[in-house]
Amino acid sequence: MSFLQVENIKKSFGKTEVLKNISFSLEKGEVLAIIGSSGSGKTTLLRCLNFLETPQEGRIIVNGNVLFDGNDESKRSESAIRKNRLHFGLVFQNFNLFPQYKVIENLTLAPTLKAKEQIRKNGSYKGLSSMKQANQLITEEAEMLLKKVGLYEKRDFYPCNLSGGQQQRVAIARALALEPDILCFDEPTSALDPELTGEVLNVIRGLKSSDSTMIVVTHEIGFAHDVADKIIFMDDGYIEEEGTPQQVIDNPNSERTKEFLARFNQFGD
Amino acid sequence: MEQFFNVTGELLVGFSQNCEIFALTLLMAIPLGLIISMGSMSKFMPLKAVVKTFVWIIRGTPLMLQLFVVFYIPSLVWGISFNRMTAAIIAFVINYAAYFSEIFRGGIESIPRGQYEAGQVLGMSKSQIFFKVVLMQVVKRITAPMSNEIITLVKDTSLARVIMVPEMLKAAERFTMQGLIWPLFYTGVFFLLFSGILTLLFGFIEKKLDYYKI
Repeated sequence: MSFLQVENIKKSFGKTEVLKNISFSLEKGEVLAIIGSSGSGKTTLLRCLNFLETPQEGRIIVNGNVLFDGNDESKRSESAIRKNRLHFGLVFQNFNLFPQYKVIENLTLAPTLKAKEQIRKNGSYKGLSSMKQANQLITEEAEMLLKKVGLYEKRDFYPCNLSGGQQQRVAIARALALEPDILCFDEPTSALDPELTGEVLNVIRGLKSSDSTMIVVTHEIGFAHDVADKIIFMDDGYIEEEGTPQQVIDNPNSERTKEFLARFNQFGD
Repeated sequence: MEQFFNVTGELLVGFSQNCEIFALTLLMAIPLGLIISMGSMSKFMPLKAVVKTFVWIIRGTPLMLQLFVVFYIPSLVWGISFNRMTAAIIAFVINYAAYFSEIFRGGIESIPRGQYEAGQVLGMSKSQIFFKVVLMQVVKRITAPMSNEIITLVKDTSLARVIMVPEMLKAAERFTMQGLIWPLFYTGVFFLLFSGILTLLFGFIEKKLDYYKI
């Protein structure tokens, strides 16, 4: 069984079916890029994986654990969702950093709250029994992550004093701070000036070399080609075509994929 | 000169009543307003309808009338009578809580959904998201409208004289009846000073919160 197994996901908003029957799988350490035109369901799929939307049907299985099952009501409870969603991390198109917190606090806030809860419930967090030790560890880890995305020197800045690209890199570090099994990106460069996309894409490239499992929804076809092990082309709520970048981007079978890629090439991507 | 000190002393005694109404109203109307705002944002329709109707009635009738209602109706209908000050504070708290609730609702609803979602995907609970992420941003957004309401409250406290609370204007009116008219105008100085201090205080708070942009 694959590391991530998504089976027959269906999601509709009212009468509009957005995801019609989505199944795919992903191995540990692989990068999946999801491409397709606006309204094809890419973002909704990512939001379902992060439990921001609840699918009507289907199953989501990570590492053998069934995190979601459309037929199992117990998987839909608030507390089950809260626990299960930490298998996934999500980086948003428009960053959504917390404006009132410094960069470092943006990274430490959620882990600190998690540590507090775990120490109160189980008496320890990552083997540490006091909040003081936990805080120290969390801060050290956060600083490491800031170094990883090249923003350690912005540690004490507020988000409003960073460029868009820097904010997105902080958002990536913030998602990594919770050590998700699978990190998802929802068009991470769509809200950025063209000259700022490079720094964000480079950070994502860097994560690939450190063996993170990632799902990237993107319009950067060239980037998807370089970084992804696997590409899914979505159209109208279905997976129209999937395979390696060479198969899907260089030698697409489906007419819809060809049309979509032709439009990109036309504009000299 | 002696008359001046005498009048000032009398007015200050009255003003202490204004200050009492002001402080107690703020203290109770803010939490009550928060609860009412939660009700008006509720997804449970009957509750929402009740709360919306309540806010409509309170905002749609004069505070002076509400003072009369709280002071006279309980004793006429059930034979319970509040003392004047208690009645005044009840009326003020209800009235201001209704106004505050709408400010809070506006502030809370103005926070982008992305902030909640960011908290959710980081595994935070609903209350953690509200208290750790949303609340501070709401405070920043509502400082200006709240300072408006609070300064209005300073002046509104003088309405309590309609149910014979011996506040400052009431005290000044007593001098008027003795043929002394200037104390009535002199009360303006106290109101101005008080609202001046509040203006400075709110300016300070806004500056304090200026370290980040939303």
